[in-house]
Amino acid sequence: MAKKTYDLLFKLLLIGDSGVGKTCVLFRFSDDAFNTTFISTIGIDFKIKTVELQGKKIKLQIWDTAGQERFHTITTSYYRGAMGIMLVYDITNAKSFENISKWLRNIDEHANEDVERMLLGNKCDMEDKRVVPKAKGEQIAREHGIRFFETSAKANINIEKAFLTLAEDILRKTPVKEPNSENVDISSGGGVTGWKSKCCS
Amino acid sequence: MYSCVKVSQFPREKENLTSLSRSVMEFGEESSPALAFDKDAFELTVEDVYDISYVIGRDLLKISSAGEEVSDLQFRIVRVLEMFETLVNKYNLSLEELKMERDNLKSELHRIIQDGSSAQGAQTVGPNQLVVDLTDPNRPRFTMQELKEVLQERNHLKAQLLLAQEELQLYKSGILPQAEPALVEVDLDAPEPADTATESSPAATDDAKAEKTTIRKLFSFSRK
Repeated sequence: MAKKTYDLLFKLLLIGDSGVGKTCVLFRFSDDAFNTTFISTIGIDFKIKTVELQGKKIKLQIWDTAGQERFHTITTSYYRGAMGIMLVYDITNAKSFENISKWLRNIDEHANEDVERMLLGNKCDMEDKRVVPKAKGEQIAREHGIRFFETSAKANINIEKAFLTLAEDILRKTPVKEPNSENVDISSGGGVTGWKSKCCS
Repeated sequence: MYSCVKVSQFPREKENLTSLSRSVMEFGEESSPALAFDKDAFELTVEDVYDISYVIGRDLLKISSAGEEVSDLQFRIVRVLEMFETLVNKYNLSLEELKMERDNLKSELHRIIQDGSSAQGAQTVGPNQLVVDLTDPNRPRFTMQELKEVLQERNHLKAQLLLAQEELQLYKSGILPQAEPALVEVDLDAPEPADTATESSPAATDDAKAEKTTIRKLFSFSRK
């Protein structure tokens, strides 16, 4: 019997206004790199990163959505399959903070009820351009009972911590059982199904 | 007869001109009728023609005592002035008509252009509608559904690639068994009907008789 490449598969989703840095946050986590050129995400993209938590290999399939309204119908169809959602705003952009409630409403409408949520205030390296105080981020997170981090994809602050924390929170409520015949479902709206392993008995 | 009519006409004319000159004198602008002579021919009005008539009539009065020849000349001058009056009048009326026609056409054109543009606007751009410039090489062309399908396919292929890369990595690092032994394993485990044996490795045919081997070879050849 061949060794499995992972024990669990978690599907995560990044949402938030256009330009807040969702793709950069993900790129920092998956490739430990940062790119200053802004290329708007077209619709939806994903990256995969395997992490080890509590002795378990966890494959994270992280969906990166376009923040632009015109992709709304495409992106919302990916909420359903997500086990964790990161809502990102930009601490230098007040509008992106004001829109948090709109994004939270999207989650309520389109995601699973038990989805694990997290709020990220990105670009915290740009202290001179900050318009959203950290306390305001903490307050809105507390009001909605979700975790909050200020991050910087550029300066690599709290990025890995945020993803690992979200994965841990999902792991905590995942029933411990032997995962069998799971595969990555790349179609929209699908739940977590299996990654077909052709090698097992 | 002809001159008779003229003669009877002229004193009246003279009377008019005299009374006109009197009224002008009362306003103290005796020189103003003479200004009509300085005007551009195309700017003359009927009033200017009357002014000219007045000035000429006044000057004629000064020499009217001279006799028959001058009297005839007076009638001819009056006749020329009358023709002049008619021409100026006609010219000014025509000019006025042409100006009115021009203005009418202008406003008509303006109205048609406006109607045309508003009608066109109503056809293509309502509220929440977008005008697409068909000459723009970067214009939107695909529907959201098409984009969705392309993205799904892209992400599907990406997932497969990642899976393949991962598997390749496992083979390379020796975690997974090599491909060939795995194949043999499958062959051994699987029940082996005659047909599948034919298709399988040449090793299977080694045990069989030479004749059978040939047949099998032919068979497998023909099956290809």
